[in-house]
Amino acid sequence: MDQAKTKSIPVAETVVPARIAAKTRYQTQRRAYRLYLLPSLAVLVAVTVAPTLFLLVTSFTPLNLTLPETIGDFSRPFFNYTFLLQDKRFHNSVWVQIKLSLATVSLQLLAGLAIALLLNIRTKFLEACRTIFLIPMVLPPIVVAIIWKVLYTPDISPVLWALRSVGLPAPSLITEPDLALWSIIIADVWEWFPFTMLMILASLQMMPEEPIEAARIDGANSWQLFLCIILPFLRPALLVSGLFRLIDSIKAFPLIYILTYGGPGTVTEVTNFYVFIQAFNFSYLGFSSGITVAMVTATFLLSWWIIKIVGTKVEIE
Amino acid sequence: MKNKKLDGKMTRRTFLKSAATTVAFGSIGLKAPVVLGQAKKFKGVTINGATFQHFHATCLKEYLPEFEEMTGMKVNLELPAFPIYNQRADLELSTKGRAWDFLNITFIYSGRWIGAGWFTNLEPFLKDPNLTEPAWEPDDFVSGAQSCLVDSKGNRYGFAWEAGAMIMAASRGDIIEKAGMKLPETFDDLVKVCEATNNKEGVKAFVNDNLHHWHWPPYLMGMGGKIFKDPPENLTPTLDTPESARAAEYYANLLRKYAPDGALSYTMDQAHTAMLQGRANIQTQSISWQVPLAKSDKSQVRETVRFGFMPAGPAGAFPCINSHGFGIPLGAKNKEAAWEFIKWALSKKMVKRLAVEKGYSAVCRRSVINSPEYKRNMTHKGQDIASLYLRVLELGGRTGYMKYRIVPVFPQVGDKINKAIERIATNQQSAEEAVKQAQAEAIADLKKAGVKIDI
Repeated sequence: MDQAKTKSIPVAETVVPARIAAKTRYQTQRRAYRLYLLPSLAVLVAVTVAPTLFLLVTSFTPLNLTLPETIGDFSRPFFNYTFLLQDKRFHNSVWVQIKLSLATVSLQLLAGLAIALLLNIRTKFLEACRTIFLIPMVLPPIVVAIIWKVLYTPDISPVLWALRSVGLPAPSLITEPDLALWSIIIADVWEWFPFTMLMILASLQMMPEEPIEAARIDGANSWQLFLCIILPFLRPALLVSGLFRLIDSIKAFPLIYILTYGGPGTVTEVTNFYVFIQAFNFSYLGFSSGITVAMVTATFLLSWWIIKIVGTKVEIE
Repeated sequence: MKNKKLDGKMTRRTFLKSAATTVAFGSIGLKAPVVLGQAKKFKGVTINGATFQHFHATCLKEYLPEFEEMTGMKVNLELPAFPIYNQRADLELSTKGRAWDFLNITFIYSGRWIGAGWFTNLEPFLKDPNLTEPAWEPDDFVSGAQSCLVDSKGNRYGFAWEAGAMIMAASRGDIIEKAGMKLPETFDDLVKVCEATNNKEGVKAFVNDNLHHWHWPPYLMGMGGKIFKDPPENLTPTLDTPESARAAEYYANLLRKYAPDGALSYTMDQAHTAMLQGRANIQTQSISWQVPLAKSDKSQVRETVRFGFMPAGPAGAFPCINSHGFGIPLGAKNKEAAWEFIKWALSKKMVKRLAVEKGYSAVCRRSVINSPEYKRNMTHKGQDIASLYLRVLELGGRTGYMKYRIVPVFPQVGDKINKAIERIATNQQSAEEAVKQAQAEAIADLKKAGVKIDI
């Protein structure tokens, strides 16, 4: 007992300085890490935070490039936002954006899922097919737009020529108000379904065999296997790729610029394109900043909501 | 055999050769044109410039090697499509960028670009005899074409390479004649001709590109309408009048019923190609696009093309006039080299060469317009195109109906016109609804821009 007491005193005495030393070392390390982070943070502030703040400040001014004195005019700080609420063309652009995003994301997920399921077999032929399917995604967006411009222009389109030669109707998709948005959707799906396909294929290849084998032994057919085993397993991949594509669809630009220029009328004018017109055709930088701030806020909230869902689902999985 | 080099003696023949060579080089040195003196000055300099895709620029590009050889400088000339060029130039100019040394000053943007001080005042270049020889004659440019390139104090910021005058061309005039008709002179005639000839021999009766704010105003004014109340003083838009609705319906109908499928998405080049290939018959367009139908090697309609004056509406004929010029952006790196290029491209010699050798018609130098070579060149199968050109220019100069087009806010209002015509032509809206919407949007936009209007 005494021995134990006498032994315990030196232990306590040595532990305390050791703890202090460890704490000091920890604090020094933390300080060092913070210092290491500083350059990255500085770059981040310069590249991201500062322009965002400038955008926000500009949105409270009527900044017009042709009138430099408007840069510091804060006399009507909320004019751009109140104008936005009354601007029917802006409202139309939001509605077009919703239609475009819903259609492209859904179709890309469906096409990506279907083709990934088909390609999830290890043969040399299918591996070659995978590479071919990736081509649209790696092409520069402007090249994709030009390809589709050729395909949609009646004078030069081989597709429309072939349709007409067999007596089928072949309207100019990009100038028909009911079809113009679909012409953008088709081109966008063609360009980006390889992305969802790749994500889903990667997820499929990580899928364990055991649950499928067990379900088969229990008598599940292919459809049941897909619905009850494969699809739940793919849900996180589907949600992540859907989120990526959704955010990207809000940034849609090259296809619209080359194929329809927002027309005919404004049937393909998405919000991003409307911002471009306001900023670069009319020089209304203040107003376009206001729309951009609204867009960034909406994208942020939407992403936060989806990430929240994805996070929950991942935990459940 | 004696070796002259080795024995160091000079024979009489050698002496004469040397003397002749010295005299020849001496005389070149004494009488060398300024540009040869500048060959060393610009050697190794590269200048970058841009204008939009146009027959003039395409032809000019063919002569560029001569200029490069003469001055030693390298010229990169970019030619994007019209809307793309304007957007890029607008962005570049607004940021006072240094990417381009010379640029086209687009007619509809001239008020805005020059008014905002984005181009270099060329007066110091013109006043310096070391930079501009008197023989270049800046006053030889037609004043009407120069008016949009000058500020209120009379300072020149550019020189015009095109004085565009809108005329009518029928690439397949033979089809119209076969139908027992002649080139339309009124709006009513135009519809009758289109109705009678549409799809004959697989040819659509009418075509125009998607720049409706350029093509439509003559129809609007012909019907008695206006774009602004009294430009440039009063910029209250007047797009929702009954005349405006009638004109919009009339023009959209031409596109809807008689133009090739997909024409609403046509750029200028596409519409021009349809004309060159004889796939579309009638177009009301600037003379610089029309004359190649008779002169270009690519034209398949040289034998059948006919030219006429812009058809008149109940209020008269109002063919569009515009001019585009080369200028030097404020932020340009090589201003002197750029000026040397502009002087060369718009010299009397080059303007005449483009007119005579390439058939470029919309020239802006009075001395060239009055030359017999130009007049001879502008006559095609007995049709005097030069007279049509001068008639349009005189009409525009006399009545000043083109003032609406160079006000700084025209791009905004022009966009509303484009959208309205597209909506009518694709049956999305009636003409009345479309012009009403265009008016409301134009008013909102002008108020946003701080322009004082009556409403």
